[in-house]
Amino acid sequence: MPQTAVLELTNLRKKIKGKEIVKGVNLTLYPSQIYGFLGPNGAGKTTTIRMIVGLIKPTEGSVRICGYSVAHDFVKALSNVGCIIESPDMYKYLTGMENLLQFAAMNKTISQQRIKDVVEMVGLQHRVNDKVSTYSLGMRQRLGIAQAIIAKPKLLILDEPTNGLDPAGITEFRNLIRKLAYEEGMTVFVSSHLLLEIQQMCDIVSIIKQGSVIKTATVQEIIQHDDKIEWQINDPEKAIALLRDHWQIEATQLKMNTISAEIGQHPLDKLNEFFIREGLGLTYCTAKQNTLEDLFLGLTEGDQIV
Amino acid sequence: MFNLIENEVLKMISKKRLMFVLAILVVLISVFAYGQNHTAERTKAQLAQRMGISATADWRKLADQQLIDMKNRLDSPYRDEKDKSSLRVRIEQLQYNLDNNINPLEQSAAKFTTKFMEQSIFLFLPLLIIMLAADMVSGESSSGTIKLLLVRNVPRWKILLSKYLTLMILEIVVLFFAFVLSVIISGLFFGLGGWLAPVATGFKLVAGKLDTSAVLNVPQWRYTLMVYSLAYFVAVVVGSISFMISILVKSTAASIGIIMSTVVAGNFISYFLSDWKITRYMFMVNLRLTDYLSGSFQPIEGMTMLFSITVLLGWAVASILVSFVYFIKQDILV
Repeated sequence: MPQTAVLELTNLRKKIKGKEIVKGVNLTLYPSQIYGFLGPNGAGKTTTIRMIVGLIKPTEGSVRICGYSVAHDFVKALSNVGCIIESPDMYKYLTGMENLLQFAAMNKTISQQRIKDVVEMVGLQHRVNDKVSTYSLGMRQRLGIAQAIIAKPKLLILDEPTNGLDPAGITEFRNLIRKLAYEEGMTVFVSSHLLLEIQQMCDIVSIIKQGSVIKTATVQEIIQHDDKIEWQINDPEKAIALLRDHWQIEATQLKMNTISAEIGQHPLDKLNEFFIREGLGLTYCTAKQNTLEDLFLGLTEGDQIV
Repeated sequence: MFNLIENEVLKMISKKRLMFVLAILVVLISVFAYGQNHTAERTKAQLAQRMGISATADWRKLADQQLIDMKNRLDSPYRDEKDKSSLRVRIEQLQYNLDNNINPLEQSAAKFTTKFMEQSIFLFLPLLIIMLAADMVSGESSSGTIKLLLVRNVPRWKILLSKYLTLMILEIVVLFFAFVLSVIISGLFFGLGGWLAPVATGFKLVAGKLDTSAVLNVPQWRYTLMVYSLAYFVAVVVGSISFMISILVKSTAASIGIIMSTVVAGNFISYFLSDWKITRYMFMVNLRLTDYLSGSFQPIEGMTMLFSITVLLGWAVASILVSFVYFIKQDILV
């Protein structure tokens, strides 16, 4: 691609106390896209993110932000990043505004106007002069985002950002992220173990499992991938056996009377006809879009958290 | 760098920890001043009872007598030179008191302010400094805010240096307030004067004995200045060590516990000082620097002001080195 990468991870590895937490992650992010970083708890998401922002030194491999190496050019690299790592920890004994002023003082490019704009952007203007200790978790998240975007970073890294937000807050948050990415041109990197969230928010998703990225694709690509059919039927055991014996289709029972299967090239009407001929009572039949959740469970099936 | 220090100072003020330390100072100085006043009153009452004179009204008579007595002893041919020089110093002091009409039994703000710091330097002052220093890094670690600081476009050593310099400023603030509060509070009891009165200093330890041959009188204000300078040095040393512990141990409570128990332990480790040589290289037994000035230090061969200052300086430098190396290299996992 002609564009310069905003973030480039090359063979990133981290061993902590003899255990390899991150096993050679390669990842390249391009401008103005929302990237999802999806994985179960303990997959190495936060460790990877900490290496990106320089909180942890990689055992091997390199991190480059906008072309600058975090290991060798820390100040220049980090000038392009804003982030929230895990929980939005703020100085509780300061007000929201005092917190932002602390971070603004560390970067001379931030103007008073920018602070005001950011506060309005995250919708905190009514409470910004209260002590953070009186904030709800949702308000702390907003303040966390405010401090992350205050220096207009090219790369915004959000680790589990919707933890503790209510549904209205999540929707609002999603809109804010889109605005930041598409209007302000930030590249957003969102980690989450919530599949729906990534599906609704991101353009491209990387799935990490046991310290390795196992798949990177656009969300569209993943969702459109082979359709599943779901039947509600009065004798699921018999139906599963019939599908296997006559059509070589592996079906699974979902609920008491529901089975689902990927039918591939087999015509659906023939299958339904076949069920009825065999004396099965068919209540309904539906084509189900593959969700990220299905894909994710498929990819990480049977894994223990290590 | 200046804006980073400004940030740290603002945090320190908002945390109210500094206010807490100053409040402790006010309470303790008040109690100490009241106690001193009480003792002085009792001494006077006892004197009056035993000798039939009023110590407040007739102190000049008493001093005159003492002066004559000491001058006689000075003229005696059987005294050796060391004794004589110490006698001379005492005569000089008494003469000054008589000339300036200062009752030596009366306390003064100057005396109190000095004495307060002499009594505080090995335990109370370190405890106050620990309360401030032990929280500076561990507080950010336990609250998770350290992450916010270290992902800015500012190198780690700058962040740490700003914290260390802030600590050095706070140490000045604490000593400044200790001084001002002592003067004001004791001034209410004893009056504000006494800054020009002579104080004996210059004691030395030679061959296991206190050598008084170099003793001389300096004005009280100079002596006080020396005491507070030494106190600042002690504060910086204890601050540096606490600062290091606060980086190595990520919890504030644990780091305060570790460094406080070490300082308190120093008070009974001092018992082994004379025969267990290694203990004299521990920082906590070298904190009583002002005792070298006043000559009240227990005579131990090889321990001099220079020795103690060197030991303390060594600890401070080592602590700062460890702090910076560890802080720059560590992985932040909180």
